[in-house]
Amino acid sequence: MTMQLLEILLNGLLLGGLYGLIGLGLSINFGTMRVVYLAHGDLIVLAAYFLVVALVPAGVPALAAAAIVVPVLFGIGWALQRFVVGRSLGRGILPPLIVTFGISMVVQNVLLLWATANARTLQSSLASSGVHLGGLTVPTVRLVDFAVGLACLAILLAVLGKTALGRALRATSDDADTARLMGIDPRRMYAIAAGISAATGAVAGVLLAATRTFYPTTGSEMLLVAFEVVVVGGLGSFTGTFLGGILLAMAQLIGAHALGPSYAQITAHAVVLLVLVLRPQGLLPRTAP
Amino acid sequence: MTDARTARRIRAAIAAALVLGLVSCPAWGGDSARTTLIVFAYHAALAQMWNLLAGYAGLVTFGQQLFIGLGGYTLAVGCERFGLGVPAAFALAAVVTGGLAVPVGALTFRLKGGYFAVGSWLVAEMFRLGFGNWGFVNHASGMFVRPARSVDPWLIYYVAVGLLLAMVGLVIATLRSRAGLALMAIRDAEDAAAGLGVHVWRVKLLAFVVAAVGTGLVAALITVQTPFIQPDAAFSIEWSAEISFMAVVGGLGTVEGPILGAAIYVVLQQKLGGSGAIHLIVLGAVSVIVMLVAPGGIAGLVRDRLGWTLVPIERRPPVRADRAP
Repeated sequence: MTMQLLEILLNGLLLGGLYGLIGLGLSINFGTMRVVYLAHGDLIVLAAYFLVVALVPAGVPALAAAAIVVPVLFGIGWALQRFVVGRSLGRGILPPLIVTFGISMVVQNVLLLWATANARTLQSSLASSGVHLGGLTVPTVRLVDFAVGLACLAILLAVLGKTALGRALRATSDDADTARLMGIDPRRMYAIAAGISAATGAVAGVLLAATRTFYPTTGSEMLLVAFEVVVVGGLGSFTGTFLGGILLAMAQLIGAHALGPSYAQITAHAVVLLVLVLRPQGLLPRTAP
Repeated sequence: MTDARTARRIRAAIAAALVLGLVSCPAWGGDSARTTLIVFAYHAALAQMWNLLAGYAGLVTFGQQLFIGLGGYTLAVGCERFGLGVPAAFALAAVVTGGLAVPVGALTFRLKGGYFAVGSWLVAEMFRLGFGNWGFVNHASGMFVRPARSVDPWLIYYVAVGLLLAMVGLVIATLRSRAGLALMAIRDAEDAAAGLGVHVWRVKLLAFVVAAVGTGLVAALITVQTPFIQPDAAFSIEWSAEISFMAVVGGLGTVEGPILGAAIYVVLQQKLGGSGAIHLIVLGAVSVIVMLVAPGGIAGLVRDRLGWTLVPIERRPPVRADRAP
C-alpha cells in the first residue's frame, strides 16, 4: 500500500514536469502582454499532430522530427502574434480573448478535418519501457517528461535573467511605454514572447505525443491544464508553475487510482477549485517573471 | 427635436413590425418557419444574456454552457426522475441555475479578466465530467424526456419568442436603471467605479445570476424541444463559440447586436448544415476577423456610419432652457 502510494506520488512528480511545461507557455504570454492565450492548448496539440501525422509517417526519425517541430511552432506563434493577436491588443481584455478563442476553434477543427477524430500517439520504445528506482518502477517516458520540462524551465530562466533579450522582455512586461522610450519595440517583444511560448508548447506537444493518446479536442483539455497549473502555482511565478504542475498531476493520478480512471480530471479540477477557495493567490505568487 | 421624434417613430415601427411578425407566425408560417424561428429566438436570447455579461458587466466568460447543461438537466431530471410536469420542471430550471450561479460566481470572481473566462469554463467542464460519471442521469449516454414529446410545438414557439422578448425588455430596463449605469461603469473602469461607491461585487453577481437564469430557462426549453440531453453536448464548449460569435458579430454592448448576430447565425447554420468542423471553423474565423476589422460588429458599423442605433441606451443630457437653440 505504501509502495503503491509512493509509486503514484513519484509518477505524479514526474508527470508534473510535463504539466509545468504546459503551464509555462501560458505564463509567458500572460507575463509579457497580459493576455490569457486561449489557443495555447491547441498549439500544443498542433505540434503533436504535426509530429505524429506528418513527419514520422514520412520517415523522419522521431528526434529529428521533434527538432523540426519546435522552430516551426516558434514561427507559427510569432506570426499569429504579429499578424492576428497583436492587432487586438490595447482595447481591453475582450478582443484578445475572442481572437485567441477563435484561433483555438479554427485550429481544433482544422485538425479534425485533416487528421480525423481518431486517437493518435507516438509509437516509441520510451512508452513501453520502465525504469527501476529503489524498488519502484516508473515508465521511462515520464522520466523524460520531467527532465525535459525542468530543462526548459532552466533555459527559460537563464534567457530571461541573463541575456539582453531577456532584459528587453522583462522591461516590456513591466512597462511597455517606458521600454519603447528605451528603444525596445514592444510589438517585436510580444511576437518573440509568443514565439517562445509556442516553442515550449511544441516541446510539450512532443512529450504529450510520447506519453499518451490525444485527439483534436485535447487542445481544450491542455488549455485547462495550463490554466490550472498557473492558478495553483501562482500567477506569474515560473517555479510556482512547476509546483502547480506537480500538484495537479498528483491529484489526477490519485483520483484515477482511488475513484477510477474516469475521475482523474475531475479530481484535479476539484483540487484547483479548492486552492481557489483557500489560497486564491496560488502557492508561490509573484507579479512578474 | 423633430429628428429625434422621427427616429423614435422609426424605432417604434421597426420594433412593432418585428414583434408583430413573430407573434403572428402561425398565420403566415408553416412548420419549417416555426422551427427556424424557434432556433433563432433561443440563440438570440442566449446571446443577449452573454452580452449582458461580456458587453455590459465586463465579465467575459466561456462558461455559460454550465447553465445550459444545468437548465437542460433540471428539466430532464424533474420530468423523468421526480415526476414533475413539464411546466413545473421548466420553472425549477430557473431556481436551480440561479441558485447555483451564486456560489459559482462567488468562486470564479476571484479570478480576474481572462482567467475568469477560463475559470468559468473549468467549472462547466467539471459538471460535464461529473454528469458523465453519474448513474442517476444515465452517465454519458444521456436521457430522453418522454413527457416533453406531447408538448405542442406552437407552445414551444410562443415560449421561445416570449423568453426572447422578456430578456430584451429586461436588458433594456436594467441598462436604463441605476444598476445599468453601475454595470457599464464596472466594465469601463472597475476600480474607479468602486471608488465612486458602486458595490462592484454585488452588481456583478446580480448580472451573473440574471444571465444564468435566462440561459437556464432557454436551455430547459431547448430540452423540451429536442427532447433529449447528453452531458457532452449540453456542457459543450461549442455553446460558448456560438454565443460569443453571435454577440461579437452582431455588436457587443448593444441590445440589437445579439439579435442581428443570431439572425446571421441561423442563416449560416442553414447554409453550412448545422454542426461539424466547417461550421466551427467559420464561426471562429469570422469572430477573429470581425474583432480585428470592426470590433463593434454590425451594430457598431451602423452606429458609426449612420449615427443611429435601434435601441439607444445612452442618456441624452437634458437640454437647459437658456442654451436651447
